[in-house]
Order: sequence, then C-alpha cells, then structure tokens
Amino acid sequence: MRLSKFLSLTTFITLFCLLYVYQQTEIFRLAYIGEKKAVYFADSLDKNTFLRYNIEKSASLVRIGNKVFQARDYQMPDTYRLVRLARPLENLKLAQVKYKQENLFSRLFGIKRQAEAKTINP
Amino acid sequence: MYIRNYYRRFAAVSLVFILFFLLCVARLIFIQFFRSNYLTGIANKQHNLYVELEPRRGTIYDANFHPQAFNIAADSVYASPGEIADKDKELIIRKLAPVLQLNYAYLKDRLYRKKSFIWLARKITPQQAGAIKAIDLRGIGLIKESKRSYPNGYLASHVIGFAGLDNTGLEGLELHYDKFLKGEPGWALFLRDARQKKLGLWDKMALPRDGYDLVLTIDGVIQYIAERELDRAFKTNHAKGASIVVIDPHTGAILALANRPTFDLNEYKSASKDDMRGRAITDLFEPGSVFKIVTASAALEEKKVSEEQKFFCENGSYAFAGHVLHDHRPHGWLTFTEVIEQSSNIGTCKVAQLLGADQLYRYIKLFGFGTKSGIDLPGEISGSIKEPRFWSKTSITAVPMGQEVGATALQLASAISAIANGGQLMKPYVVREVRDRYTESIKIFSPILVSKVMSLDTAARVRKILIGAVEEGTGKLARIEGISVAGKTGTAQKLEPNGAYSHNKFVASFIGFAPAEDPKIAIAIVIDEPHPYYFGGVVSAPVFKNVASDVLKYLKTKEPLMLSEKD
Repeated sequence: MRLSKFLSLTTFITLFCLLYVYQQTEIFRLAYIGEKKAVYFADSLDKNTFLRYNIEKSASLVRIGNKVFQARDYQMPDTYRLVRLARPLENLKLAQVKYKQENLFSRLFGIKRQAEAKTINP
Repeated sequence: MYIRNYYRRFAAVSLVFILFFLLCVARLIFIQFFRSNYLTGIANKQHNLYVELEPRRGTIYDANFHPQAFNIAADSVYASPGEIADKDKELIIRKLAPVLQLNYAYLKDRLYRKKSFIWLARKITPQQAGAIKAIDLRGIGLIKESKRSYPNGYLASHVIGFAGLDNTGLEGLELHYDKFLKGEPGWALFLRDARQKKLGLWDKMALPRDGYDLVLTIDGVIQYIAERELDRAFKTNHAKGASIVVIDPHTGAILALANRPTFDLNEYKSASKDDMRGRAITDLFEPGSVFKIVTASAALEEKKVSEEQKFFCENGSYAFAGHVLHDHRPHGWLTFTEVIEQSSNIGTCKVAQLLGADQLYRYIKLFGFGTKSGIDLPGEISGSIKEPRFWSKTSITAVPMGQEVGATALQLASAISAIANGGQLMKPYVVREVRDRYTESIKIFSPILVSKVMSLDTAARVRKILIGAVEEGTGKLARIEGISVAGKTGTAQKLEPNGAYSHNKFVASFIGFAPAEDPKIAIAIVIDEPHPYYFGGVVSAPVFKNVASDVLKYLKTKEPLMLSEKD
C-alpha cells in the first residue's frame, strides 16, 4: 500500500470517528435539554390539572349552593329566583351638594344646560 | 556460550508471552461464548432503566360534560432507610411527623426497617409536598403519582364511587367500569448516563393506552336539586336513611340518584360502611301503599274492575282469614278510583281478590319486582316476592298493599316510570357513553325496553287515577302550581326483629311523575324511620314537589328556543 493511500484512509477514518463521537455527544446533550424540558412540561401539565380541579371545585353547585344558603343577605322569594338584597352602607352622612350658581350670561348662551340630563332610574 | 544463553532466554520469554496470549484468547473465548448473556444483562442494567408508564385513568363526566372524577398529580413520600444514619433517623421522624400528620410510632417502624425503599405517605397534598421539599432531608424523597379527585365532593357519591391508591376502582361506577377507565400501562427502556441519571432517550418503548372517559346520564344540576331536598328532608325528619331516584321515564336514564347518609368521595377513608351504602339499590323494604299502583294497573289491564265500580270498605275494619285489616281512616262505599286516591287497604284487598294471586304475581314480575333491574351499578339486589304457591291465606290481603314484598327505591322508580311511559318498562342506566380522550365514541348505551307491562290505554287510566291521588287524595302536598302531577304515597310499617310490625318505625315514600300529561321525570323518594311525622304524604310528598318543580324549570331552560312561524 502506498503511503499516500494509507494516510488518506487514516484521515478519512479519523474524521468519520470524530463525526460519530460528535454526533453521539450532541444526542446526549439534547437528551439532557429534552429531559429538563420534559420535567418542566410535566410540571406545567400537573399545575394545569390542579388548577382545573380547583376551578371545578369552586364552580361546583355543592359549594355555590352552600355559600348562597349560608349567606344571610340572600333570600329566596320564589323557588327559582335568587336575589341579593343590597345592604345600605353604615356610617354614611348625607352629602352637602352644592350646585354651581349660573349667571344670566351662561344661562342664555351656555350649551352645557342643553347637554345635561337627569337620571330618574339610577 | 553467551549466544546460546541468549536464545534460551529469548525462547523462555517468548513462551511466556505465547502462553499469556493463549490464556487471554482462552479467556476471551470463555467470556464471549459462556458469560456473554450474564455480562450483557449487567451492562443493560447499568445503561438502561425500565420504567412503567402509567396510563391516564378516564374522566367521569355528567350529562352536561362537567367532570365528576379525574386525576391530578400528587407527590408520594418515600424513604431509603439504608442511606440514613441511625443518629439522623430520630430527627427526621420529628420533622416529618407534623408535616405528614403521622404518628411517631408509625414513622419509627418504617424508618428502622432494613430496606432500600419504603413508602411513608402516598398522594399527599401540594402543601405537604412543598413543606417536605423545604425541609430537604437526606434519604427522603418525593415521587410523582396521580391521584383520583372528585371536585363535587359528596355529589352523586354512591353512583360515582371511588378508586383506591393504585387507581383501581373500589366502589360505584369506578368499580363497575374499571376495565374501561383504567387503561393499559406501557413501559419504556430509558438510557442512563454514568451517574445513573435518566436521559430522555429510550431504547424501546410501548406507549400506555389511556383509560376511556365515561359520560353519565346523571345531570349535575338535577342531582344537586335532588340531594339538596333529600338532605333537607333527612335532617328535618330525623330519619335513619333516605333515598331519591329521578329517572327519565321514556328512556330509563337515571337523572339523579342520591342516598342519605352520604360521604365525601375525597375523604372516603373516613366514611363508615353505613354512609357508603347505596341504599336506593341495595336496601330492601316493604313498599307499602305505593305498591297499590301494581294492583290497580293489573286490575284495569285484566278488565276486572272499572274506575266507577264501587267497593265497600267495611268502615275501616275487615276480618279476613283470622286477621283484621284496617284502613288509616274508615271508609264506606268507595269507587275504584277513590280506593286508590284514598289509599284504602280494604278496598285494594278486595280488588286483588277479584284479580287472584297468580295474575297479581304476574304483574308484580312484569313491573320488575323480585328481579334485578340490571342497572350498571355494583351491589344491586333483586328484592323479594314469593311465588303464589308459597303464599299464606292472608298474603292476598298483604301483597296488594305492599306487604310481604321486598323492593328497592330504584324498582319503585322504574315501576312508576312504566306507567308514565305508556306501560313500557325501561331498563335503568347511568352511563350514556364510553369514549376515548379524543371524544371518539367507544360504546353508546341506548334505552332498552324490558317489558310491556300494560296497554297504553290502561297506562292512561292509571295515570288519571294517580293524578286524582295527588289532587284529591293522600298526596296533596306533592301538588305543583300550574303543573299536573301523578303520584302515590306510601307509609309502611317496618318489621321488628321478632317478625311483628312496628308501631313507631315507618318507611315514608312517594312515587310520581310530572307533568302528568307529558311526563318528563319520574321520581321515587323513600325516607326510612322519619320522626315525628311518618306519613309518606307528609314527609316524602313535599320532597317530590320541591324537586319536580325545580327540575322542570331547569329542564325548560335546556329546551331549544322555538321561534313561532310569524318570527
């Protein structure tokens, strides 16, 4: 065998081996990354299930029913209608409302008056 | 001389080398051909990790697709006693006991065992898991598992049942449909690195097959209404037990089934056997006057009586075969309709005499008494009814009014449904569909006709009589404003251990359906030993009224909006 042929074959085999080792190293490096992501994904999935459980539990008729019937400010006027009786806030003082005095000029030429509307049914 | 010695030494060294070489070759041959399997096994153990892949247990949905049971992740605590020094064990026990709420002796027993792995607590709460992670003890670890959870607590607990620690069904639907719910586990051979850490690479893998989901006929809203009213009646009447069954009479689909006492599915370990008993299908009782619907239907179907035919009710006392039969209120002449409306025992007995034991027995069986209904729940009993050849002389007076007969609440619900359904008895069922996680149907359960008990005409006539029983008779408290109700009350004396009828233990029941002209629901309510009131018309009829009125309003909201032709 000629020396040049031997050297080129050796170089080829060496490169091939290096490529193989590099490929294997990459596979394992990606496997470690994948493993970390899988754990993260599984954790997120578990949290999602747990949150879903909590939502279902909170939205359960059993829980809502108990809360509603325990509360004192709920009354059942009919068997199917449920109304909440608004409680007046305590320690409230009647506000002293001061209306702005309008002068004759503003009464005659002002446009504000036309845009005002009084609510009858708050 | 020198050269000769040199050759001799060279030959000796060469021989040693050749011998060594041959020895190596022999060893290699031995390893390759005789030890390869053993050594490959050891290498595989080092490089591969066998992991069983747990399948997801199927979810149980109600008729509105709200989950009633599903799995959530939960941590389990294990210990490796071999890794923990004896002097550290005491400290670990003191730290773990309050977090896991386990006693000292239990933990001590576990930690001092000579094992490399032992469970300390399975499926703990996230708070407990967080606390253990924070303590960070050597030799103590957490493993993720999945835990069966029930977001609605006690709702439909006797129907749904529960699964144990290893996700195997133990009660109710969890047990009955376990083969569908559990799925099939898979496995994988994961590669491990030099530090024995699992890599996300697998050599071989068989994916697990997830369990199928169940879709129930139980409607969560109807179930809640039924449980709410049953619970109220159970507590107000200081009863020993109570059951309610709400059924769609046209299909046999169970819309709600509840029992009292009950238990929280998430806390099933602390529930007593009495709490866990599904009374509606496992408890036998003498139904009393509600059973008169059987006698009435049979007599009308066999044309032995007409609605206006009169019967003398002996002013409340009737001697027959050495026994005296009483009515709860004395009656004189009553028409057949009035006999049922007023629930006269004497009148019913006379109707049954016209019918005869054999005919009556035939109809009892046609209504499904004395036979398992075939509902897809475990633990159902068949009830009891003796064949006429075993009847005593007084049986013909007892059986027509629901004595000497053992029935379950479910059988009563099925029987009243048969009248509501034009005389056709349907098989009750609680699972509508089995499907996979991609909502593909695996199995669909359709309504099954069990028997044709009576003609459509007879069913209509019985229905009319039962409307009268609510409007004019003993079931007045079941009346609903604006909705016609058909029903029958029952107050049965319980049997004492000595065989005599008790004077202070009763079973108060009511069976009925509404709206009477186009039945949407049939309901059976059974209240065991109510106090101080014990009449079915007083204790159970109001439960029917409250449940039926709310359920019918709810069902109306589910109907699709119909636009008039003008619109």
